[in-house]
Amino acid sequence: MTLSVSGLGAVRSGRTILHPTSLEIASGDRIGLVGASGSGKSTLGHALIDDLRAQGRGVAHVPQSPDEALDPLRSLEFHWNEAELALKAPPDADRRKRLLSALKIAGGDLGKRPWGWSRGMQQRFVIAMALIGSPELIVLDEPTSALDPVIAADTMDLLESHLNGTGTATLLITHDLGLAARRVSRLMVMDEGRVVEAASTQDLLECPRTGAAKSLCAHRSWLAVPC
Amino acid sequence: MTRGILGLVLRACVVLTGVALATFALLWNAPGDPALAIALARYDTVVPADVIDRVRVEAGLDGGFWAAFKGWVGPLMAGDLGRSSVTGRAVWPELAAAGSYTVPLAVAGLGIGLAISVPLAVIATRAPGGWTDRFAVALASLGAAVPAYWLGLLLILLFAVHLGWLPAMGARTRAHVILPALTLGLGVAASLTRIIRSGILEARGQQFLPALRRRGVSDRAIGRDHVVPHAAIPVVTVFGLELAFLLEGTVMVEVIFGRPGLGSFLVAAIAARDFPKVQAVVLLTALVFVVVNLLVDVVYRLIDPRIGERDA
Repeated sequence: MTLSVSGLGAVRSGRTILHPTSLEIASGDRIGLVGASGSGKSTLGHALIDDLRAQGRGVAHVPQSPDEALDPLRSLEFHWNEAELALKAPPDADRRKRLLSALKIAGGDLGKRPWGWSRGMQQRFVIAMALIGSPELIVLDEPTSALDPVIAADTMDLLESHLNGTGTATLLITHDLGLAARRVSRLMVMDEGRVVEAASTQDLLECPRTGAAKSLCAHRSWLAVPC
Repeated sequence: MTRGILGLVLRACVVLTGVALATFALLWNAPGDPALAIALARYDTVVPADVIDRVRVEAGLDGGFWAAFKGWVGPLMAGDLGRSSVTGRAVWPELAAAGSYTVPLAVAGLGIGLAISVPLAVIATRAPGGWTDRFAVALASLGAAVPAYWLGLLLILLFAVHLGWLPAMGARTRAHVILPALTLGLGVAASLTRIIRSGILEARGQQFLPALRRRGVSDRAIGRDHVVPHAAIPVVTVFGLELAFLLEGTVMVEVIFGRPGLGSFLVAAIAARDFPKVQAVVLLTALVFVVVNLLVDVVYRLIDPRIGERDA
């Protein structure tokens, strides 16, 4: 089922930081949203989530850092139960075990507070929580920038292999074209609050048309990150 | 956790030992001969030198500082606060009687403070910067600026003199506690309101809250499960300090309203240079302080176990 939003926009302190934007996301799509810092990627991601939630669609969010997703005073188990309750999903121990195993964190002690786990494990926990409701779309906002490259690649691999065949689409927000190129089939480039270019990953990398896309292609770091 | 709490208890013991030593050293080194002071207070007349010497031996002051300190601390360990050097009666029953007036007053003052400050801070933070918020902040600043002795007199003027609704002086009936408790409580409410307000505002700015909202967690659940615990941390911290205000305020309020209690007990003991009584009050105050701060530390660690992880 296709997710569609139109007229997304955002104004902060009188300045338009997201110009009216419409998106169509098909089931199972792997989309990358790239652009320089401050180009409005995260703003578009948040507006997309809020709009889809208002439409009653299943959408989950993975913020950049686990610090932005987890309350340091609450145990991981509390977060899990809270997320289930928010989705009105009945508690299901099997599902929890399955998701935590899928992200290879089933061995972690859920009674601990987030800071009792490594950051890599925390981020995987946040991703596992995002999968609870089998959402139609997961918005991953720089999901691996807080992790070291090896753990980041592992985490993305685990998520992809879990999502394969489920119909859940992903929107990967990143300033790292190298990361996006390996993970997504379609790329959208943002610049100054607008989506200025959208094309298949291969087309965009081979033949960027706008200035923003050209400069991203010129500054990509293919070998620096293994993911 | 258990190790941390044991460490705190140990630290409390060290503090109490220090207080006992410091109190005794202060009184020992106060200007004038303690034996002379005791003899004067006891006989209320000019005393010959041989009487002073007898008093000195009786009070155990002839063996030097450490002998006298041991003579005081020994019975103290068994819970014996000694005898009044003026009346010769045991200090403990008199202290307990005075405390039976002070404790209800302090508890009522704290209760009134909480009953005012918590709702006021919650209402104020509904719309930060709005007129209710500004009103609450102004009220709290005013409350913190008004000294207890002036507020107490204003309350007496209004409720006892003009309206005649409440009794002002003494402690004969239960109604006598209302005005002193209100005086204390308004002062407590003033400082607590500001702390609770800023605690709530800071807790609402936590970086993980937007993600919780996007996860679909209701505002109600966010407030209850995430904002309140974070807002509680600074409030709990300040609670220990608030106690200092409460003890200091209680002494003043008791004097203003002519209430018997630890305040009046202490003032009378100092005037009569009744050292055992003074020492008893100072030590009791220190004990209350240490115990409350110990509890604050424990609660602190229960809310946020990161605190004390390193020094435990």
